[in-house]
Amino acid sequence: MSTWQVERQEGEDGEVTLSVAEGTPLSPWDAGAALRIVGTPRTRLEGVEKVTGSAQYAYDVRLAGQLYAGILRSPHPHARLTRVDTTAAAALPGVHAVISLADAPDIDWYDDSKLFDPTLRFAGDEVAAVAAEDEDIVADALRLVVAEYEPLPFAIDIVAALAPGATPIHEGGNVESEKTYERGDVEAGLRAADVTFDRVLTTQTAIHHSLEPHGCTVAWEGEGVTVWESTQSIFDVRQQVAEKLGLGESQVRVIKQHMGGGFGSKQIVWKQTVIAALLAKRSGRPVQLMLDREGESLAVGNRNPTRQRLRLGATADGTLTAIDVTIHQAIGAHSAGGEGSNTAGLYQTLYACPNVRTSQTGVYTNTGPAVAFRAPGYVEAAFALETGMDDLARQLGMDPLALRLTNYTGDDQSKEMPFSQPDGLRACYEKATVAFGWGETIEQPAESHRRRGVGIAAHHWVGGAGDPPGYAWVKLNPDGRADIITGTQDIGTGTRTGLAMVAAEELGFTLDQVTFHLGDTALGPYAPVSSGSATMATIGPAIRAAAAEAKAELLAAAAAFLEEPVERLSVRDGLIRVAGEPEDRATPVAAVTGSMSPHMIQTQGARGGNPEDVSIQTFGVQCAEVEVDTRTGEVTILRVVAAHDCGRIINPTTVDSQVIGGVTQGIGFALTEERVVDAATGIVLNANLEEYKVPTVSDIPGIQNVHVGIPDLKANPTGSKGIGEPPLIPTAPAIANAVFDAVGVRFYDLPLSRSRVVDALAARERQGMPA
Amino acid sequence: MTMRTFAYAQPESLADVIAALGAAPSRDAVRPLAGGTDLLTLMKGDIVAPDRLLDLKRLTGLDDTVEIRDNELVLGALTTLTAIETGSLVGEHCPALAKAASLAATPQLRNRATLGGNLLQRPRCWYFREHLIPCWLKGGDACPAREGENGLHALFADSPCVAVHPSDLATVLLAMDATVTVRGDAGERAIAAGDFFVQPDEGRRRENTLGGDEVVLSVAIPLIPGRTSAYHKAMDRKAWAFALVSAACSFRLDGGVMRDVRVVLGGVAPIPWRSTAAEAALDGERPGADVFARAAAAALAGAEPLRHNGYKVHLARNLVIEALEEVTRA
Ligand SMILES: Cc1cc2nc3c(=O)[nH]c(=O)nc-3n(C[C@H](O)[C@H](O)[C@H](O)COP(=O)(O)OP(=O)(O)OC[C@H]3O[C@@H](n4cnc5c(N)ncnc54)[C@H](O)[C@@H]3O)c2cc1C
Ligand code: SF4
Repeated sequence: MSTWQVERQEGEDGEVTLSVAEGTPLSPWDAGAALRIVGTPRTRLEGVEKVTGSAQYAYDVRLAGQLYAGILRSPHPHARLTRVDTTAAAALPGVHAVISLADAPDIDWYDDSKLFDPTLRFAGDEVAAVAAEDEDIVADALRLVVAEYEPLPFAIDIVAALAPGATPIHEGGNVESEKTYERGDVEAGLRAADVTFDRVLTTQTAIHHSLEPHGCTVAWEGEGVTVWESTQSIFDVRQQVAEKLGLGESQVRVIKQHMGGGFGSKQIVWKQTVIAALLAKRSGRPVQLMLDREGESLAVGNRNPTRQRLRLGATADGTLTAIDVTIHQAIGAHSAGGEGSNTAGLYQTLYACPNVRTSQTGVYTNTGPAVAFRAPGYVEAAFALETGMDDLARQLGMDPLALRLTNYTGDDQSKEMPFSQPDGLRACYEKATVAFGWGETIEQPAESHRRRGVGIAAHHWVGGAGDPPGYAWVKLNPDGRADIITGTQDIGTGTRTGLAMVAAEELGFTLDQVTFHLGDTALGPYAPVSSGSATMATIGPAIRAAAAEAKAELLAAAAAFLEEPVERLSVRDGLIRVAGEPEDRATPVAAVTGSMSPHMIQTQGARGGNPEDVSIQTFGVQCAEVEVDTRTGEVTILRVVAAHDCGRIINPTTVDSQVIGGVTQGIGFALTEERVVDAATGIVLNANLEEYKVPTVSDIPGIQNVHVGIPDLKANPTGSKGIGEPPLIPTAPAIANAVFDAVGVRFYDLPLSRSRVVDALAARERQGMPA
Repeated sequence: MTMRTFAYAQPESLADVIAALGAAPSRDAVRPLAGGTDLLTLMKGDIVAPDRLLDLKRLTGLDDTVEIRDNELVLGALTTLTAIETGSLVGEHCPALAKAASLAATPQLRNRATLGGNLLQRPRCWYFREHLIPCWLKGGDACPAREGENGLHALFADSPCVAVHPSDLATVLLAMDATVTVRGDAGERAIAAGDFFVQPDEGRRRENTLGGDEVVLSVAIPLIPGRTSAYHKAMDRKAWAFALVSAACSFRLDGGVMRDVRVVLGGVAPIPWRSTAAEAALDGERPGADVFARAAAAALAGAEPLRHNGYKVHLARNLVIEALEEVTRA
């Protein structure tokens, strides 16, 4: 049975909050547990729906009388909107509603801004919106909106925003946040070092570019509203829409069944959802508002660009004596909320080092707001730190792997407690390097201008632990099938399948005896946002708990039905078995559940708290082999081998998918992806998939994911941790280090675009170095 | 983005098209439509907004066939890039053109994109393609790329515009001495590729000399016995990208020395950029590393890199060498 404790807390402002501690005690599936479904490769439950096109995405919603909506965006990076007139747009036949600063309700947005704000702070900021009978009319109507702007001085990058006399983007200036951390004495550590690294490294702005854009369909019924939204958090959308529109949470229903990716950009509620709701209210019709690729590129998040000055020191035997990093990251025009971009985190935790100092400054710029992007901060930090480590290894004449192992730690030094799995990272090093053949001589092509090299990079990640609260319900139907009901969402990762496997395992059912339900705030219990690689680790234990309780009730019922003591009974493959009796005398579950119809077994499980004496982290190591053509600067990734510690692997198939997808994004980040903003106008020049270059299938080599699969029994009773974000973290530095190994050129700026690589090779040739 | 309203017509004959083009108030008001892969993109981007499109695809008098006629390989204007990539005649007589087609765009686009449209496609300059930014080529006063993000721009520009010609095929066609046959009010004329592509100037903010009433009918490549060709293209990624720089080279060996040499660069000028200096360095010489290096250097001799595109000099030089090496091997 669940425990449930409530504690009253009173804040300084007198506000009372109740803190809840709950959970259903469960014994962990330990390493020896004989699991029949969990750990076996399973294709996605919704696979057929997806490939046949019947899966419903946000775009697919079609309601009677539905209108379509679009947004007019600011052409200026910083401007005062002096006049906006939507009269002509509203008068266009087929237009049913318009909204702009002229007539929008006063709704707060971001820290100090409004849904429609008179100050526009990035090119792409929302100016007005229109709902009409089709998308062509919307476009025509948007062209009829008269908007007059008074352009203001602007800053599009960190340097410009921090320059003396820079125009303040917000009242308090352009520094959004400053965070520092220190342990030991880095200056003393650097003095004690035999070798040092001291460089400024930069990473670029990357756009999430989910295949499915952001968007929603909104329909009102009386005072209540239903929102079909492409989101990582149906419950956050519910809460935010309610708050912004002055409704109660129960008046808002949010539905999301399938999603074509979010990668962090859909973990917060953006303006278009509330705009669509207002347009729907005004028109009295359902309204669909999907962003186009330009909107995706401009207004719904990006990975913050960073500038990191990194100093490292090590003694001759490779022991790190100091890590000192000063980080600036451009968060764009607003702090958008959601998972923070903690670039400093990797420096504090990955390696054993007594002297660490980190300083992280968030800087406002007149560009689209940044938001969490798959392992925010860690991807950026890994490029810098792992480049620095590679350089130290070269200086020391040490194997880069040996240097990393020399500085191994099983403790979270910043929290001063051990990791829940102190050997997780060590296992990753071992698995990845053995499978890769690290240390073996690689074969060089006959042509001297084609050079091959290998690189390695490691990481830890602060996410993947999961957290309370999170709930699941189990319903055993008279026909012997189970409905598993949660309020979580499948953001394209295979959540449905993995969680259904957990349920089937605990119940003792086959996977096809389980039907999984998610993605509807009205029909399922609460689940948090799917971010921080948390969903499996948050909801998995809740499902186990609900299923365990349902199984106990089922066995009690079976005991009565079969007139056997409950201790002799068990469920396996959907059949109730009596200990010692032959297999063929097993009783189908339906015989028991049917015999008590219409009564049903219905249970709830709650996610319990995490342990307080260990730090739950995920880890990974990747090795890459590349070939560089020194004549043309072409970089070809030949192979990537990955090993990631995500605790127990629930579904190897979808874990492989996450790794393949993450490495693919990492290759894009390493080589081609970069948002380009024109300095003169502040306009994004590649707000499309033509000039913003994501990798194509031809750019992606064979990616091998070596399963680590050590259950993390201290983390939670499933032993499983998240794998969503980690596989992107070490890819870019592994590739950059491999490029160095191939041609001896070190890159301190991402991406390693063709122009950068050619420039560097040409510069080296001019210096008379061999090609 | 969504297009503005326009009329669509399917004229029955070439004469109707030519008449309609001739009667149009401006070149942009009435446009012929082939595969639409560039035209519709420009319309969606609000860069052009024609009132009327004249579909060329079902006309009598405009071909999508490839044939050998009078010792020339003749390709109809409606030939798709897929047909050029996979067709046996092109593969046999002009493999460099087949390769250029195969390296262009994506399979879906190549199924739709035509040769005529490919030669007439507009630059990919991101200032040109952004409707919020006025630019000289679009009728504005100045070229923002000159001082802006010009990593993809030209090394050689004798024009207020420093955009590069986007066509892979055009680069090869110039190296093959192709002619473009067009027809207008005044009848038919054959234009040497080198005269068809001309840098934009004040009086003609376009990259070619096609008349406002003219339609491209076909492209002809003379078949010169013993001549071989090669095309090398550098991209930002392995596929689905325009050339950063490309090189098309061709020559024939005559008693061991190179003759009828052509060296043409793509991605370095507003038009496919033929280097007669490089050709002169090669003509009459035996193929070899030294002479290739000299020719490559000559090809880039007058380059005027902008702030962000200096890498193209090094890249172009090496692509010329690679292409010459390949012609030698062929
Ligand atoms: C994503 C993308 C990637 C691409 N990558 C490449 C690449 O790597 N390399 C490359 O070379 N190209 C590339 N292209 C360009 C593509 O090859 C051209 O868009 C295509 O060849 C144009 O042919 P079309 O038939 O679609 O022309 P349309 O779009 O129909 O027409 C283009 C122009 O030519 C005019 N026109 C067409 N046919 C005639 C005719 N017979 N007579 C007179 N006028 C005519 C039209 O009026 C219009 O102005 C790419 C395009 C896209 C969209
Ligand atoms: S290079 Fe040409 S197309 Fe580009 S901005 Fe300049 S004038 Fe316009």
